[in-house]
Amino acid sequence: MTSVAAAAGVPTKRSGVGHWLDTYRAMLRWEVTGMRLLLPLTVVVQVLIGAGMIVGIAVLFHGIPSRNALFLSTGAAVVTLITVGIVVGPQLVAQQKQMGTYDFVWSLPVPRSAAASAWITLNVLIALPGMVVALLVALVRFDIDLDVSLSVVPAVALTVFCGTLVGYAMAHAIPKPEVTDGIAQVALFTVIGFSPINFPPENMPGWLASLHRYLPFESMANVVRAGLTEGIVHDLARSYAVLAIWSVGCMALTAWALRRH
Amino acid sequence: MTATMAARHGPRFWWASYRAMLRFDLINLRSIIVSTFVVQLLLGAGMAYIYGFYLGKLSAPAATFMVTGIPALAIIPIGMVMVPSTVMMLKFTDTYDYIWSLPPPRLVAAASTLTVFTFLAIPATVASLWIADVRYDVSLHMSLAVVPAMLLVSLMATSVGYALGHGVPDPRITNLITNLIIFFILLFSPLVIPLDYFPGWAAAGHQVLPFYHMAVVLRASLTEGIVENVTASYLVLTAWTVGSWAIAAAVIGRRH
Repeated sequence: MTSVAAAAGVPTKRSGVGHWLDTYRAMLRWEVTGMRLLLPLTVVVQVLIGAGMIVGIAVLFHGIPSRNALFLSTGAAVVTLITVGIVVGPQLVAQQKQMGTYDFVWSLPVPRSAAASAWITLNVLIALPGMVVALLVALVRFDIDLDVSLSVVPAVALTVFCGTLVGYAMAHAIPKPEVTDGIAQVALFTVIGFSPINFPPENMPGWLASLHRYLPFESMANVVRAGLTEGIVHDLARSYAVLAIWSVGCMALTAWALRRH
Repeated sequence: MTATMAARHGPRFWWASYRAMLRFDLINLRSIIVSTFVVQLLLGAGMAYIYGFYLGKLSAPAATFMVTGIPALAIIPIGMVMVPSTVMMLKFTDTYDYIWSLPPPRLVAAASTLTVFTFLAIPATVASLWIADVRYDVSLHMSLAVVPAMLLVSLMATSVGYALGHGVPDPRITNLITNLIIFFILLFSPLVIPLDYFPGWAAAGHQVLPFYHMAVVLRASLTEGIVENVTASYLVLTAWTVGSWAIAAAVIGRRH
């Protein structure tokens, strides 16, 4: 439909659902093509992170208690979901800035929400295989019972959505790519080491455990864990609320950063 | 140097170039020196805390074993992450070719980078050991062997990172490899977990890889009676160092 107008040299309409969907598809194709060499590798790395965490941390324990095993199995799946948005995403944007393609992408006649949605879709594509493999490895490695319910679908979606937006806001709001890279590394470290995702919160000092009630990481773990298990997650509504607030806040921050840009 | 062209060979020229490149490297480093210190503390002292979060309570021997693995852990982010990513940044910002066009011999430039990073890694390593020691309250028996142990471990890590940064053509692949090294070292950590806990094939692999041996030589210098044989570990570390030099020399000696 656009080709006739374009051939006639008439500017096409740049609004409406149809335009949005067209640009979303185009941006998704753009992102996937841009990453075609790196995409399989990134997926493999995510799979390794998920599976590796379970096998590796089990070595640390030398006989793991069942409650810890349940935390670790579900936690590893959550970590793969979070790391894509918070770690891989900002690093990719930082690389775009360093290579100079960043300004080009944002000069394209594409609604920013469509570009952001394409980015989130790409993140889901990268994250899901890692999560599934992590859970399978956990089932083989430990003698645990998962109790999967349908609520895992919105939980995973919201976790990737929120994580991606946090990373996106970080990557766009911070002008220097090296700083973004550094923060992404620290974020990875915080997620794996200082967040009650892979281990129960009572193992941490009290002040850190309280801080995590306001950060998104524990809530991400809670909603996904609630969809995979029975009886170890409480206060689920609060976790959903925390994630919603973080998502909206990061959307606002990204919008502000892009407008300024 | 001004009116008459100075000779561009001989030990005196090498020494002058080495000092000039040291200055160049140090000036280039000033913007990242604080962040490197923080990253090292996170991976060294931070990991000491994190292992505690995962494991809950630790027995005294397990705590000693873990604490004495921390210095090796703190050295890895400099040598195997910071060094390759510094090279990577040079490639991204196109200063890579500029540096090789400078008059100092290329091997002198390499020697300068190795020197700077080897020593850069030491302060935060010591700080990490101290913090971990305070956290777990273990009793250490430090001997003079800690000096050669720390220098060799740091030089080895820096050399491997340098070879990695130069040897892998695509900086994005380098980035990925450094991420993987960090990840596997933190998780399948032969630094803080006895090798007997690992499946046989993994334990065998760690006899060849440098990581386990880094912890062995450092642990031997910090304790009495835990480590029995360090000769093999010193040999493996030396082999990795020299091997990395060979790779780096082959890559940077090639002209475009």
